[in-house]
Amino acid sequence: MAIEQSTQSSNLVDVLETVLDKGVVIAGDIRVGIADVELLSIKIRLIVASVDKAKEIGMDWWETDPYLNSKAANKEQDQKLKEENDDLQKRIEELEKKMGKDNRLV
Amino acid sequence: MTELKYLYGIIPTDEINQTPLPSFKGLDEQHELYNIAFDGMEAIVCDLEESEYNESALEEKTSDVQWVHEKAFHHHEAVMKLHEIYTVIPMKFATIYSSKTNLEETLTKHYQEMTRLLSWLKGKEEWNLKIYCDNDSLRERTAAHNLTIEEKKKEIEQMSPGRQYLEKRKLDRLIDQQLEKEKEQHSSSIHDQLATSCVKTDIKKNWNKDVTGRTDEMCWNSVYLLENQDVEKFLGKVKQLQAEWKEAGFTLELTGPWPAYHFSKLK
Repeated sequence: MAIEQSTQSSNLVDVLETVLDKGVVIAGDIRVGIADVELLSIKIRLIVASVDKAKEIGMDWWETDPYLNSKAANKEQDQKLKEENDDLQKRIEELEKKMGKDNRLV
Repeated sequence: MTELKYLYGIIPTDEINQTPLPSFKGLDEQHELYNIAFDGMEAIVCDLEESEYNESALEEKTSDVQWVHEKAFHHHEAVMKLHEIYTVIPMKFATIYSSKTNLEETLTKHYQEMTRLLSWLKGKEEWNLKIYCDNDSLRERTAAHNLTIEEKKKEIEQMSPGRQYLEKRKLDRLIDQQLEKEKEQHSSSIHDQLATSCVKTDIKKNWNKDVTGRTDEMCWNSVYLLENQDVEKFLGKVKQLQAEWKEAGFTLELTGPWPAYHFSKLK
């Protein structure tokens, strides 16, 4: 029987066309721009479909690919900053050692 | 720390006095939903940290499709929960105010209309009907059962091969037009039968297969606002129509009850 309760099991389009397009619009003073229902449904569907498919064949590299995942991109940037930081730290230590030696010489 | 107010909906104060607001986690999964009293109405909100949900932070968040997916469903579930217990004016997803004062200013501006809307929506709920059809088999049926098309086919058989090609293409177009006409006629007759038991109705746009992710085609999409006491009758009618139209290749799908998203309009 196709009479459903519109709770968790509701399908994607039903929910998006309702909560993104309808409901009282008394715009809050914080402006939020959201893609239209059509584009969003297609994108979500593609993501869900491709994630399922990829996991099925044991692929999950996109989770760490900075071009596909903003979190991964941040992680990569964090890693770079950390390396740069370590590098600078080392150089400072070396310089300090050197200065210490120099001081001793004086 | 500054806190923004995310608004889910408006409910009448007397109803919240009868049944206190259940505990429900807000959009950020930290703050709880709570009510702000406003002269006989209650605004149901949750707080959001300004630093994490200001306009530029939100711009980044909303460009992440998965974030929007998850949060739109959160909004849906929260408003559904409210609707199960109270009369509710549902807000559109992502209605956010920078302060309680700004929220109250907006409520003041729409106060009379909201009061009217709340009393009108009391005891009513929304249902959504989508009709899908198997286009290919319907097309075959249309082509086989239409007399004009049948005659045209016979005519074409007598023609020279070159002419036949052109005429067949013309006939294809004719069949398509006929098919669209039939789909529209059947769907709107189903709709008319259901519309008699509702307070208000609205016809929405059909979504294509890329959007629905289905193999059959959406040929009708409409919403109905029903009085609670008429729902049973309405559902019975839908069941009957579902059975009636199954053979002809039409699938009727009904979802609900929904908060009155489509019928909560302010001028």
